[in-house]
Amino acid sequence: MVRAVQQIFIIFVLILVLAALPKIISVDPLSGSLQWSFESLPHIYGDFISEISKGSLGTYELGMQTRPIAGDIADNFFTSLLIVLIAVNASLIISLIFGVFISRFRLTKLFGAFMNILAAIPDFIIIVMSMILAVKIYKMTGIRVISLRPDGGALNTWFPTVLAAIAPTLYLFKLVSVKYYQTSGEDYIKTAVAKGMGLNYINFQHVFKNLEPFIKSELVKVISLAIGNLFIIEHIMNVSGITKFIFQSSGVQPIAIGLFAMLLISLIVYISNRLIFYLFKRGFIYE
Amino acid sequence: MVTGLLFLSIFGPILAPHSLTSVLETQYTNGKVLAPPMEPFESSSYPLGTDKWGYDILSMILYGLRYTVFIAAAVTVIKMAFGTIIGLYAGTLKRTPGWLIAFENAWSYVPLFLILYFFLAPISFNSTLKQNVLIVYFIVIASVISIPSIVSSVRLKTAQLYKSVYVEAAKALGAGKHRLIWKHVFPQLKETFLVMFILEIVYVIALMGQLALINIFVGGTIMRYDPIIFLSATKELAGLVGQARLNIYGSTHILIAPLAVLLLATVSFSLLANGLKNRFQSNYQRTPWIKTGHEPLIRPSRKQYGRKKKFWSLSGPKAGFAALVIAFAGAGVYAVAAKNSNTGVQSGSKADYKIDLEMNAEGYFTANANIQLKNKSDNNWNELIFYFIPNVFKEGHSFDSVEGSSEAKIEKVTVNGQKASFKLDGDTLTINLKPEMKDKSRHKVEIQYGFTVPEGGSRFSKAGTNYYLAQWYPMAAVYQKGKWNKEPYMEGLETFHTGFSDFKVSYKLPEGYSLASTAEIDPAKGKNEGTVKAKKVRDFFIAVMKDMKVYETEAQDGVKVRLFSKGNHDKNPEASLTLAKKALSFYQNKIGDYPHEQLDIVLDEGQFMEYPGIVTINPYIDDKRFYDISIVHEIAHQYFYGAVANDPYNNAWIDEGITEFATSMYFYAGQNQAEQQAFGISHYRMEAIEEAGLGRQYSNVPVNEVKHTGYIYGQPALEILQMIQEKYTLKGESPKDVGMQFLSDYYQKFRYKEVDTKEFISFTKDYFSVPTGYFNNWIDTSKLNS
Repeated sequence: MVRAVQQIFIIFVLILVLAALPKIISVDPLSGSLQWSFESLPHIYGDFISEISKGSLGTYELGMQTRPIAGDIADNFFTSLLIVLIAVNASLIISLIFGVFISRFRLTKLFGAFMNILAAIPDFIIIVMSMILAVKIYKMTGIRVISLRPDGGALNTWFPTVLAAIAPTLYLFKLVSVKYYQTSGEDYIKTAVAKGMGLNYINFQHVFKNLEPFIKSELVKVISLAIGNLFIIEHIMNVSGITKFIFQSSGVQPIAIGLFAMLLISLIVYISNRLIFYLFKRGFIYE
Repeated sequence: MVTGLLFLSIFGPILAPHSLTSVLETQYTNGKVLAPPMEPFESSSYPLGTDKWGYDILSMILYGLRYTVFIAAAVTVIKMAFGTIIGLYAGTLKRTPGWLIAFENAWSYVPLFLILYFFLAPISFNSTLKQNVLIVYFIVIASVISIPSIVSSVRLKTAQLYKSVYVEAAKALGAGKHRLIWKHVFPQLKETFLVMFILEIVYVIALMGQLALINIFVGGTIMRYDPIIFLSATKELAGLVGQARLNIYGSTHILIAPLAVLLLATVSFSLLANGLKNRFQSNYQRTPWIKTGHEPLIRPSRKQYGRKKKFWSLSGPKAGFAALVIAFAGAGVYAVAAKNSNTGVQSGSKADYKIDLEMNAEGYFTANANIQLKNKSDNNWNELIFYFIPNVFKEGHSFDSVEGSSEAKIEKVTVNGQKASFKLDGDTLTINLKPEMKDKSRHKVEIQYGFTVPEGGSRFSKAGTNYYLAQWYPMAAVYQKGKWNKEPYMEGLETFHTGFSDFKVSYKLPEGYSLASTAEIDPAKGKNEGTVKAKKVRDFFIAVMKDMKVYETEAQDGVKVRLFSKGNHDKNPEASLTLAKKALSFYQNKIGDYPHEQLDIVLDEGQFMEYPGIVTINPYIDDKRFYDISIVHEIAHQYFYGAVANDPYNNAWIDEGITEFATSMYFYAGQNQAEQQAFGISHYRMEAIEEAGLGRQYSNVPVNEVKHTGYIYGQPALEILQMIQEKYTLKGESPKDVGMQFLSDYYQKFRYKEVDTKEFISFTKDYFSVPTGYFNNWIDTSKLNS
């Protein structure tokens, strides 16, 4: 519990520091050196806190106009939440199924090889390449696969969701299959095999149970991967999600609010992941 | 693949076909319009096409790759070094402090590129910081913020190992903490670290890519308004991808090319990591009990204990690695050598001379020249062509500037030991090659000849009792572009083009004469027999003199300056020597090394003329100022004629114009004269042209078309000055500094190479980022491609 509090506290401080960074770093044009204006920090945070305590979230700039954050945040928040939520949960399920339960089939091997190739490519290259591909498809067939218009509806969000799912899937799949391979060399598996238990039974009852803690401990990393890519994806695909507050404005207020919203999103996603594990265990595994 | 990548990142700029600043200009070739953006594979000189502004994509990639790879490597080295050390020690703590874990978790929640973004966003756009400073900032910040994640993974692994039984055993035996870490834990993790290292490189590249997508380029973002575009200052690969992001809708190759290279780079690192991982895994993994679908790809290689240790045992991987290293080094040497030999105008021949010279008391010279002529071109030679200039001054010549006349007679010519037929027409000596010799790559030519020197001649001249032997030997013409580049002799400007040759001249003179020459070390005064040598010179001048007073001094780097003079003129030899020394030292400081070890200045009647290592000056003129300028001028020629070669017939302005510019720069930058005064002689020449009503003429015309020498001397000097005054802000603080730096860079690049107008234009275009049309005022640029 203490650790959780510590963690939350550190994240809070980190977010506030990050949000203020653009305000306090500047380049001195005369001497050509960096300038840190820490003396403006109390002022920045003072403004922030007073705004929050008034019950409003402050304002942000969208192009030329200034809009209240509170008015727009709900929409943007749910767009981002939906993308991350679907992406991470899908990647969790896919990697578990392919990494463990049907890992021994030949077709899965093909899938694994494909995953390995993708894993060798950095995420951002995958993102750019898939965009080129989508444009090419449209040019050749006239079928609009994606839309870069923020008001494009599902056409605007399904592609980002898939892209956001790629990185966590690759990471989890790799992790799961490596752990699976390691676990399968353990003595208790040998015992189970010797007892004549079925392969599926061993996978569910022995292997999965031993994999679970590993996956749980990596969940934060996985979510942060998804969030990291979400920034890029939303930015270059014109999805009006939460990152709009972060990249398009320079004020402390929207950046901090945006980052906190991100924190909230990852918390929700984390809870949903744990929920999936819980349901899975309830459904398939005798405790 | 990684080796190839490293190779490209080190030698990339050398291989690049175009420089970063050279632009494809819209042009018509064979009825087709070439205009940017050019599609890839359309033109052989732009293999990957150009971007919208006409910059070559391949060159940008080759320049940018080194930044990408080295920055990534630097970041990784720093963070791995700190991360592992901290991680190893943190892993051995009895109880890991809670705040550390909390911090690690919190840190791993925030995507790293976001932290970098907030750091770099305020300083990257149109930054006043220097590019290198920005790169260093990136490296430092990127390493620092990614250390925690490395610490945490190393810490976990260490902690796991630290609990193992063998560590317990070592502890029981009394091993200290450091010993445990470095002798017991670290060796276990070595291989993991190696894999981690390579993967982290990929990760850093990915980080740079993510930043690039939000327009933060490592090394600074140049932001242009109207329309808003973002450009990468370093052309670093991720930056190229980022700046071409909007090309997704059209001209996709601008985006795809750097993306593909970046992909190749990361994939090659990833594959290396994967290969190593498979190797290590198969070595240490236990065999699974159930069917998992993951079979090891490589047969495990087990350590064999008890085998004798050999210093070197031949094995596949080792041999492969060695082959890679050798290929790497070989390709590097080749790339550098190829780049070096491709600079400047190519010449297909090289001549080296060994000459015996004998002079009798009547002033008749007999000589026997052994010339080795190498064919470096792809063609076979049917004939060998030499300049034999003494022949044009024979009785009945039509040159006004030559008072007397000479005798010249070629006695015998042998080629490769066989007597050969030859034809002498004016100054052209044509030696026919026998059919069986045509395909030889090396010809030994021996020419026996005799000559006298015309009284009051032009360069090749007798003044009183002194003999000035200029162009006195059969000089091999230069074989270029599939033919002998030999033009007829003309009065006035030089018409003879020679390559760099080695000389060995043995001489025998009558009593009382001594000799000063191009040679590196001239014999002592009064010595009338001996041998002199010179290496890599374009001409070999000999002054055979009697009763001359010698003044000596020393310039920078121990270069001796000697001045030969008679007492019967009104110029002060000491002052002239001082001027020569000052000018030479100035050029040594500002332009580069003087190409010889000594400089001789001969004051006597005749032409003002430069030869390698020796110059002749006429002190019997009234114009003291012109006399002084000439001394500096001929010294400047030692650089821009002596070391940077050019064809004086077709591109006379290259040496004369640049020399005049360098001369005036001595007075302008070295002596701080006013510009009008320093460049006075050039202005004077242009005024003379105007008075004569000659109109305009380009500087790059062959000497037989030149209407006035001012177009060759004055016009280029003034135009170069004007260009520097207009463009100096690109390169430095003041026109004076930039002017001298320009000369220096030009000299360093083309030292012992030949320059023609085209080479000069492409060098200068690149240097000051100007288009070809910039020179239209004074150079006929339409002739450049012919």
